[in-house]
Amino acid sequence: MGKTQPIKSIDDVRMWESIEREQLELMACCNCHKFRYPPAPICAECLCMETEWKPVSGKGKVVSWVVFHRKYFDDFPPPYNAMTVRLEEGPLIVTNLTGPEPEGSWIGREVKLEYVVHDGRKQHAARIVD
Amino acid sequence: MPVLRGGAFVFAYIFWRWRLSGVHQAGDFSSFDLHSPIEDSSPNMLAMRIREAESVVTPGLSKVAAVVGVGHTDWRQDYAAVREGKVKYDSIGLGSLAFVRALEDAGLTRDDVDGLIVGPTTPYERMGEVLGIDAKWGGQADAMLGVIQACMAIKSGLAEVVALVYGNNQRSGKVNYGGSNAAGGASFLSYVYHAPWGFTSQGALYAMMFRRYMEETGLTSAELGEVAVAQRIGASLNPNALMQQRITVEDYLASEFICEPLHIFDYCLINDGGVALIITSAERARKAANPVMIHGVGRYDLNTGATSLEPRLTEYYLPAQQKVAEQVFNMAGVGPKDMDTLQVYDSFSCHIPLALEGYGYCPAGGAGKFLREEGVALGRRLPVNTSGGHLSESYMQGWAHQVEAVRQVRGICGERQVPDCRFVHYSSDVAGKAVSIIYGR
Repeated sequence: MGKTQPIKSIDDVRMWESIEREQLELMACCNCHKFRYPPAPICAECLCMETEWKPVSGKGKVVSWVVFHRKYFDDFPPPYNAMTVRLEEGPLIVTNLTGPEPEGSWIGREVKLEYVVHDGRKQHAARIVD
Repeated sequence: MPVLRGGAFVFAYIFWRWRLSGVHQAGDFSSFDLHSPIEDSSPNMLAMRIREAESVVTPGLSKVAAVVGVGHTDWRQDYAAVREGKVKYDSIGLGSLAFVRALEDAGLTRDDVDGLIVGPTTPYERMGEVLGIDAKWGGQADAMLGVIQACMAIKSGLAEVVALVYGNNQRSGKVNYGGSNAAGGASFLSYVYHAPWGFTSQGALYAMMFRRYMEETGLTSAELGEVAVAQRIGASLNPNALMQQRITVEDYLASEFICEPLHIFDYCLINDGGVALIITSAERARKAANPVMIHGVGRYDLNTGATSLEPRLTEYYLPAQQKVAEQVFNMAGVGPKDMDTLQVYDSFSCHIPLALEGYGYCPAGGAGKFLREEGVALGRRLPVNTSGGHLSESYMQGWAHQVEAVRQVRGICGERQVPDCRFVHYSSDVAGKAVSIIYGR
């Protein structure tokens, strides 16, 4: 067992810097403006290789969620959750729910990103706001 | 009657035959409705069309090659050996034992082999070296693509007798499919990219996917539990299966969660083991004792959006399976209604409902009802993973499913034999890479 570690390819570094500043920025295409998540060297839509970085609002809706009951990492003792959120700008991201867990289904609930310190690094989490 | 010639005729003929076989009612392939059925179906016209179609059809890799030998290690012994600390073979050794047995089953000698495909868990060169095989043609592939590649090599004349060899000491080698050193991350970024949020393991990816599917379709945990219960019935009649004790839906619902909503019974059994297949040309297979013909193959890979989980969470990979369904059933000239059993790559139980829908065994969103009312156990509507599959036999990464498919067609499965088994459909959708193979007499 070990601890979690972000994947930081050459394209990921700037995203993690934006998380450290508590304002998530995602890579987008200069030509068709489609977001690329995870960041990528080329646009899967139009094959443009020029990029720009855009801040996102942090607002989104829960697409699905799970609860881990088995331990996989030293820094994530079970039980803990993970969920997928569709940001209002379009991309799907995986994050953790912070704050009170809703009764029943989480799917479709409105969330807003916050920033938490996890094992010495900053990362996003999402709170239900509806 | 529309005038149809050549390829267009064959296309229409196959769709028409599909409709006749009942797939139109069972499936949800709206594209098929675009093709009007041939109006004149009198017996004479029918016979003429079949003759014409058969003379015109060049159906890709249909009936190009056959499996003439299968072999594997003793999975129960492999399991016990790890527990007792008496492991005898590494991955290369496990593959070697399986190869020797497959060769014997085929009635061939090592020197007959001129093509070699090695599973992804052992190096190709070393496997060929220990087996003493200098190949005319070879490579590395997983079980399903290995079978397809063997057919391609045989069709093109690059090889005549292809050995496919797989050995995996994943249990004794302590391979982790989740966590900080998750296996598979080099091939599938989604397996490792979301780890900062604790989201890891292939089971969790399917749990995330299936939670949403359950909410959208209303499929219940009890209905999903029918998969594990059904496969355990097959395993209880399979002397090679690791888990032979039957379970009930109540046992399933009371079992622990690994990644909720998936229970421990939804997960595959990681074990050491080896599997080998010998595939040769249809012509040469006629001389073999018990050949099983490959009637069709199909493949479609969803790569776009894979790491962000888009095709997994919003479409459940169904478009990939539907494309493969068209390809594989058309190539084989048969439809879902003709399949006597379905073998599904089941790292997790939820692969089964998704395959039932993707291949038209039930309507989209209807898998829960199918599992409950029609059933996937032996003796019910569509027996699935009759050996117990990855959930109850052993996690041999799709390789053992090919062995079970061959044995069911051969009719040698004893108490778990599907009566008069003519066609077996194998399907996998590992991370949206959908593959199908149809085996038959």
